[in-house]
Amino acid sequence: MSAFFELSGVTKNFGGVTAVDNMTFAIEKGELAGLMGPNGAGKTTIFNLVTGVYPVDGGTITFQGENLARLKTYDIVHKGISRTFQNLRLFQRSSVLENVMTAAQHGIPYSFIEGMTHLGRWRGKESDIKKKSMDLLERVELADRAHQAAGTLPYGHQRRLEIARALALDPELLLLDEPAAGMNAEEVISLNVLIRDLHRDFSLTILVIEHHMDLIMEICPHIVCMNFGAKIAEGTPDEIQNHPEVLKAYLGEEDDDE
Amino acid sequence: MSGYAEGIIVLLCINAIAAMGVSLLTGFTGIFSLGHAAYMALGAYTSAILTVKYGLHFLPAIILGAGVAVAVAYFIGVPTLKLMGDYYAIASIGLGEAIRLILENWQSVTRGARGYPGIDAYTTLPVALAFLVVLAIFMFNIINSRFGRACKACRDDHVAASLLGFNTARIRVTSLMISAFYCGVAGALLGGFLSFIQPVMFDMMKSTELTSVVVFGGLGSMSGCILGTAVITLVTELFRPISQYRMLIYGAVLVIIMVLRPEGIMGNREFVSWIKDPLGRRSK
Amino acid sequence: MATLIQQIINGLSLGSVYALIAVGYSLVYSVLLFSNFAHGGFLVIGGYICYASLRTLEMGIWTAGVLSIVGAGVAAILTERLAYRPIRERTNVTLYLLIASMGMSIVIENIFVIVAGGRFRALPAVIPTSPVDFFGLATTSAFDLLSLAAAVIFLWGLQLFLSKTRWGLAIRAAAYDLRIAGLMGVNVNRLISIVFFVAGALAAVGGIFLSVRYTLYPQLGAITIKAFVAAVIGGLGSLPGAVVGSLILGLAEMLTAGFISSQMRDLVVFSLLVATLLVKPAGLFGKSVSEKV
Repeated sequence: MSAFFELSGVTKNFGGVTAVDNMTFAIEKGELAGLMGPNGAGKTTIFNLVTGVYPVDGGTITFQGENLARLKTYDIVHKGISRTFQNLRLFQRSSVLENVMTAAQHGIPYSFIEGMTHLGRWRGKESDIKKKSMDLLERVELADRAHQAAGTLPYGHQRRLEIARALALDPELLLLDEPAAGMNAEEVISLNVLIRDLHRDFSLTILVIEHHMDLIMEICPHIVCMNFGAKIAEGTPDEIQNHPEVLKAYLGEEDDDE
Repeated sequence: MSGYAEGIIVLLCINAIAAMGVSLLTGFTGIFSLGHAAYMALGAYTSAILTVKYGLHFLPAIILGAGVAVAVAYFIGVPTLKLMGDYYAIASIGLGEAIRLILENWQSVTRGARGYPGIDAYTTLPVALAFLVVLAIFMFNIINSRFGRACKACRDDHVAASLLGFNTARIRVTSLMISAFYCGVAGALLGGFLSFIQPVMFDMMKSTELTSVVVFGGLGSMSGCILGTAVITLVTELFRPISQYRMLIYGAVLVIIMVLRPEGIMGNREFVSWIKDPLGRRSK
Repeated sequence: MATLIQQIINGLSLGSVYALIAVGYSLVYSVLLFSNFAHGGFLVIGGYICYASLRTLEMGIWTAGVLSIVGAGVAAILTERLAYRPIRERTNVTLYLLIASMGMSIVIENIFVIVAGGRFRALPAVIPTSPVDFFGLATTSAFDLLSLAAAVIFLWGLQLFLSKTRWGLAIRAAAYDLRIAGLMGVNVNRLISIVFFVAGALAAVGGIFLSVRYTLYPQLGAITIKAFVAAVIGGLGSLPGAVVGSLILGLAEMLTAGFISSQMRDLVVFSLLVATLLVKPAGLFGKSVSEKV
């Protein structure tokens, strides 16, 4: 039986640089897994390969038994994979609510004619989209800022908005790219709680990229560690923490507070 | 109401319809176009030929004229809009020039550079207003629907949009086709208003005028573009005596607005939200 | 056969002039990643300065040439400072730059319409246009050979500048990634000014030759659309591409004009654009712009 989500021998080169080197790991349905490694290890590249931003140079990526290789990015999303971004990609000019509605609308379609005339199912469906979006905003505690421009939110709130938006796509696999970047210790703790709660309440499979130790060690029972594009360790937090390769990769960065 | 005032209002309706098309494409989908007058020309000439030569009633003629514009938009749009970068802008200049050349040289069909006379004056004030009202309602509805959000997503961050499941190329092409439809209708109505059309009416100056209007009113505000049309149409009439400065002023307006206030008059808000929330505390 | 060679030389000559314009345009595109629609304006400025120097100030062609080049270069720098820099500094929305560039293009053209009037002006005949016997194979005009030679010299000069000077190196780095070039200590604003100066200067040379060929009038800048098409065919942002694309375009135009009809010239230009966009949209040497996700 094939795994829920699997990378097998995945390789990616950019010019002369090998960004991802023969990466293999598998994630089961319902897991909360972590992908960690120092800066430049290739973690975000993996996300970009999975979501179809770059084509793989070798190896396969399978999701629920299906090879994602030839699919366009938007098709991959419709297969059930959604993500957040390391550098935040919110629609700054739009409101918080509209950001989420833009994602939520995919699951609640109506025809163009209905949209143009505001007849038929338009009213009902728009109201459904709005409700679904507001519910998600409640979940991430942003409902009171629904009409604020996304670009004006404090940084931590923007990160939570991105998560809400990614959730609005009803994914089965959620990829979180450094969700704790730039957060202070207190914010990371509440983020941990949020991710755990979402994982449970939405029955999601989540893969988190982080190099914030506090987050990934705390909430991910299954961690893959990489450096220079290759996997150097895989296992439980305890195993990873004591793994010689991992310590070597992070040596000198112990006090790095990111 | 005097014939002159009526004429201004009809012209305003026509310009507003075309401007709404350009606003959707440039303001809401973020695609810069320099050849929109070409779609007006296609609508105008198709409708003129259908009504004058084949005696078709003006209503289907206008729709068919707009249809031709949409078809051409599709053929230009599909290869150019899947690319990011300024390919569509350059192609749109090419389109404008190519259409102009064809219109001037295909004398047997278009009567060439001297123009196509004798069009029935079907664009009366009620007709113009009716088209404006209906098309405006449709456009505002489109903006406030899932399609409008999709366009804005493509405009604001096309990478994020595709990673949120949007087929950005298809959305851009659809937006272009809708804008071509609006410009085609406007062109057909213009022919029925002036009873005469000439290729030079649909040149770069016209395309620039359309873009200026949309920029002035606010990229991302549909009511802004209608307001912008009203202002610029009226100002053009008032300043007719110094019309040789007209283009210079359009150009300067474009630059000044981009430098000082790229959001234009309305910003990316609609008129209704200005009334409800004048200080802009809510974002939309 | 003689006609063929004649048209080929014509085509190369025209193409080389297009190349001067297309290369400057592509250079700006490669660094700033936007299409400067005001580029045609620099061409017109160069033409008019040359005309004014020759006719009103009665200077020699060399002085007039230098004045045009410097004048257009300065005008390009001013355009950038006044219209583009304020936008660049405030936002990264390319659309605003495109619109502003369109605006500047119109402003420049219409300043000349108002100040110089719309009539066609012939430049004083300081550039020889007499027929020349080309190795006994065909007769061509001295003008064609001269403009070809001038274009080659200027493009070669550009090549030397880019490969052998410090600023040239900085520009090549900036074309790769402007932000990183800035982080490595390059004065980005000054670099951009230099790039615009070069673009304006090259456009001015092209403008002078085009004014002789087609006479000078304010809308001459509209011919820049052909340079844009050439740049797209060669690959937006690629300098060798701009040269190759321009030569192809010049040849296509002249061969069509010579053997089919003059009317079809422009249609052939646009057909080549359409063909490129359909077959290989990134152009012959296309630079692919990859965004960091």
